[in-house]
Amino acid sequence: MDSGTVTLRPFRVSDVDDFILWAGDDQVTRNIRWKTITSKEEALTFIKEVCIPHPWRRSICIDDRSIGFVSVYRWSGNEICKADIAYGIAAKYWGQGITTKAVKMAVSEVFKDFPDLVRLQAFAAVENKASQRVLEKAGFTKEGLLRKYTFLKGQLKDLVIYSFLSTDITVAVDDKLL
Amino acid sequence: MEADGKQGQEGSPELSLRPLDLSDIDDFMVWATDDKVSRFCTWDTYTSKEAGIDYIKNIVIPHPWFKAICLDNKAIGAISVSANNGNDRCRGELGYLLASKYWGKGIVTRAVKMVASTIFNEWPHLERLEALVDVENGGSQRVLEKVGFQREGVLRKFCIQKGRCRDMVIYSLLSTDPQP
Repeated sequence: MDSGTVTLRPFRVSDVDDFILWAGDDQVTRNIRWKTITSKEEALTFIKEVCIPHPWRRSICIDDRSIGFVSVYRWSGNEICKADIAYGIAAKYWGQGITTKAVKMAVSEVFKDFPDLVRLQAFAAVENKASQRVLEKAGFTKEGLLRKYTFLKGQLKDLVIYSFLSTDITVAVDDKLL
Repeated sequence: MEADGKQGQEGSPELSLRPLDLSDIDDFMVWATDDKVSRFCTWDTYTSKEAGIDYIKNIVIPHPWFKAICLDNKAIGAISVSANNGNDRCRGELGYLLASKYWGKGIVTRAVKMVASTIFNEWPHLERLEALVDVENGGSQRVLEKVGFQREGVLRKFCIQKGRCRDMVIYSLLSTDPQP
């Protein structure tokens, strides 16, 4: 499909107006830990103090305009082999394969940036079928349903857990998933 | 020191759970120095009593929920539930071990049942008791299945034990599940 080039890049302060279009939408922030950000001032602070210094956060862009994010959080100590991936994009771009494309690109980049990373994991709320499809199309393996695992915005959630291992990369390349 | 105990058959030793303290150090060292016990644990087999004393002082005594598994009040193992903060306060992780000479008699199963039947009352905010077991640790998986934990899946290369990334089976028991 031909909807403009999808790229990943670090956030810029100049993304602020585009940022609010999706980060200010409850639909987009419903299943992530971020609070909905509606004021330009809050958005600027968030971009400067959280997104830019983040160890691994990228803006998902179409034609270099920010339409969403993907973040990777590494664990430490005896869990340093793993990292969590999270993402979200503006509702107007849902259902077009854009998030899947962005997640595939992120997976590829992350395993290059962290050559000692063994496991990338993702959690999707049990009712969030769209996010589960993204992960499946991007080559993640569904491992199970974690019942009453955590509170998200005050609600106790059942989460489906997925993983992508560094050893899955060659499989994905062979299957032309990446 | 409160003990909460269950009698097995007539005349068999009483199984109880009670806080572990420094006076248990010699019994602690029996399992802490045993490679069979430490095999699937995050810690390496202990080589000094000082390290054991430090562990009891710095980890066990301040722990939110850590008990000795006792036969006739003698510590033969340990069982604990970890607490989480904030959004994760709904879940706690169960851990347990038993001196190897007592394996195969159903003791850990009884101890886990005792914890499962009281922890949700002691911690009303707890919704989920979970446990992570190495894929190769069949004995521990059978304990959880006998108690009624639900096997949720295998988490591939989930954490590092003894220098290697291990696949771990994840189990859970909810406060709303049928109580053992």
